[in-house]
Amino acid sequence: MGLLSILRKLKSAPDQEVRLLLLGLDNAGKTTLLKQLASEDISHITPTQGFNIKSVQSQGFKLNVWDIGGQRKIRPYWRNYFENTDILIYVIDSADRKRFEETGQELAELLEEEKLSCVPVLIFANKQDLLTAAPASEIAEGLNLHTIRDRVWQIQSCSALTGEGVQDGMNWVCKNVIAKKK
Amino acid sequence: MATNPIRVGSGSEKMKLKSLLLRYYPPGIMLEYEKSGELKTKSIDLLDLHPSTDVNALVEEIQRAEPLITASRSDQVKLLIRRLQEKLGQHSNHKFSLFKVLRAHILPLTNVALNKSGSCFITGSYDRTCKVWNTASGEELLTLDGHRNVVYAIAFNNPYGDKIATGSFDKTCKLWNAETGACYHTFRGHTAEIVCLSFNPQSTLVATGSMDTTSKLWDIQNGEEVFTLTGHSAEIISLSFNTLGDRIITGSFDHTAVVWDTETGRKVYTVIGHCAEISTAMFNWDCSMVLTGSMDKTCMLWDATNGKCIATFTGHDDEILDCCFDYTGKLIATASADGTARVFSAATRKCITKLEGHEGEISKISFNPQGNRLLTGSSDKTARIWDAQTGQCLQALEGHTDEIFSCTFNYKGNIIITGSKDNTCRIWH
Repeated sequence: MGLLSILRKLKSAPDQEVRLLLLGLDNAGKTTLLKQLASEDISHITPTQGFNIKSVQSQGFKLNVWDIGGQRKIRPYWRNYFENTDILIYVIDSADRKRFEETGQELAELLEEEKLSCVPVLIFANKQDLLTAAPASEIAEGLNLHTIRDRVWQIQSCSALTGEGVQDGMNWVCKNVIAKKK
Repeated sequence: MATNPIRVGSGSEKMKLKSLLLRYYPPGIMLEYEKSGELKTKSIDLLDLHPSTDVNALVEEIQRAEPLITASRSDQVKLLIRRLQEKLGQHSNHKFSLFKVLRAHILPLTNVALNKSGSCFITGSYDRTCKVWNTASGEELLTLDGHRNVVYAIAFNNPYGDKIATGSFDKTCKLWNAETGACYHTFRGHTAEIVCLSFNPQSTLVATGSMDTTSKLWDIQNGEEVFTLTGHSAEIISLSFNTLGDRIITGSFDHTAVVWDTETGRKVYTVIGHCAEISTAMFNWDCSMVLTGSMDKTCMLWDATNGKCIATFTGHDDEILDCCFDYTGKLIATASADGTARVFSAATRKCITKLEGHEGEISKISFNPQGNRLLTGSSDKTARIWDAQTGQCLQALEGHTDEIFSCTFNYKGNIIITGSKDNTCRIWH
C-alpha cells in the first residue's frame, strides 16, 4: 500500500471509485468482513491497531474499503477517516447483547458527525452464524434505526465468517452509490 | 575536477576569510568569511573528489577560482582535502542490528526524520501527534500535541535542528521548538490535507504542499504566509528546495512538476513529459538537474536551468513510488511497486544495477551519505540494505509486523530509523 497509495485513495474519487468506511466496536468483525470481501484467508485475524485498506471490484465500481480499528482508546481517531466517505458501513456483533447499548451510542454519535451528514449507512448485523445472535429486526428496534430520517439506511443480517448476507449488503451499497454519483 | 565556488565580485578585497570547515557529505570545504562586518559562509563543493585525486593540482585549481583561498592558506586546504580523502576511503561497511523497538504511537506511523547530528529523531502518526526521541537511549523526549488529524509530513530545520515543522491532514502546519516542544506558530490557509513540507536551507522559510493543489511558503519568524504557489491542477504530494534555497520544486498528481523562484513566488518552468501522477521531485546537490519519478513507471532527468528533458529511465514494470540522487548527484536510485529498485548513472544514464529481493512494493529508497549503500522500505515488512554498485542485498532488517512506511539513514550513515504501520519504530545500529 505505502503512504503514497493512501494519499491517492484519500482524494475525492473519480466516478467509478467509491470510498467505503467500515466502523464498529472492537471484535464486531470488521476485518473479517473486509477480508471476506477481498476473498482473502480469514483464519488469522488479530485486533486492528490502526487500519486496513482493500480495493474490491463490484458491479463496475472500484470499492476502496477502509477498515478502522474499533478499540475504545482509538475510537476518538475515527474522525481522521471521515473525509470523502461515500457509504458508511457499521458492523455489529449480534451475539454480544451486553454491548448493544455501547454500539448504539457510538452509531448515534457517528450519525451526528457533520462530515458524515447525509452519507448512506448500511448496518451489518454480523455473526448470525452464532446461535445466540439477535435477529436484525431486534437490533433495528433496539437501536431505534427507524428514527433515522436524514439519510438512507439499511440493516442487513450477515455472517462475515461464512459470507452469508454479505453480498446482499454490498448490492445495497452499489445501488446507493449509483444513486449518489448521479 | 569540477569545483563549484560561488563567484566573488568586485567587493572581494573587502572579504576576509575567518575559518575553513570540513563537510564530509557531500565532500566540500565551507568558508566562513567576513564581508562588510558581516559573517557569511560559502562552500567549495568537491563532488568529484576521489582518494586518488592529486591534492596539489586540486588546491591550485581551487586557488585560481576562489580568491579567499590565498597562498598562505594552501597548506591548510591540502590538509583538509586529505582528511576528506581519508573519509572517502573508509567506505561504510557497517552491519546493522536492531537496537530498540519503540512502541511509539497508538496508531500507525507516517514519516520519520533525524536531526543532522543524529542525536534525536521525530515520528509522525495517525494518532495526531509527533514525538521526539533520543536516538542513543530510545527515550521519548517530547510529544508535540495540538493537531486535530493525522500528522503526516515532518521535518527538522537541518543543519540547525532547533526547530520542527509538522504538516497535518487537519490542513495546518505547526512550527515547534525542538528543545522545549513549545509551538511557535500554526500556519493556516490550506484548504485540504498538508502532505509534504520542507525548511529552506537557510531555515528562514517553511514550504508546505497540499492536496488543495497549492504550495505555500511561510516566514518562520513572523508566522506569516509569504507566497502561495498556484498553478498545479491536482494534489501536490512532493516538494523540495534546491541546495541554494532560491528554487523549490513541487510534484503533483497532475503529472507535472513545477520549479518556482522562492524570492518572487513565480513559476520558473513546468516539467512536462510524464503521463501519470508524479511521486517524487527533487534537485541534485549542485542544482544542475531535476529528477522526477512517476506512476507512469518511469523516472525522468531534466536540465534544471530550463526544464528540458535530459533522459528517461525505463525498465520498471510498475509505478515508481520513490526516487533519489546520492549526495554528490552521480547516482540515481528508483523504487517501484514492482518490488524492485534500480540504480542509474546520472552521467551515462545507464542502469548500473537492479535490486531484487523484496516480496512487496518498495515505497522508500535512499542512499547512505557515503553513496555506497542503499536503504529500501517495503510493504513486505522489511527494510533492506544493498550494495549500490553490485545490487547485492547485504541485509534484511526484519521484525516489523506490518508494512514499513518510512526509513532513513542518519548523516553519518551508521544509524537507521524505520517507521511502520505496526505503530512502532525501530532503531538499528
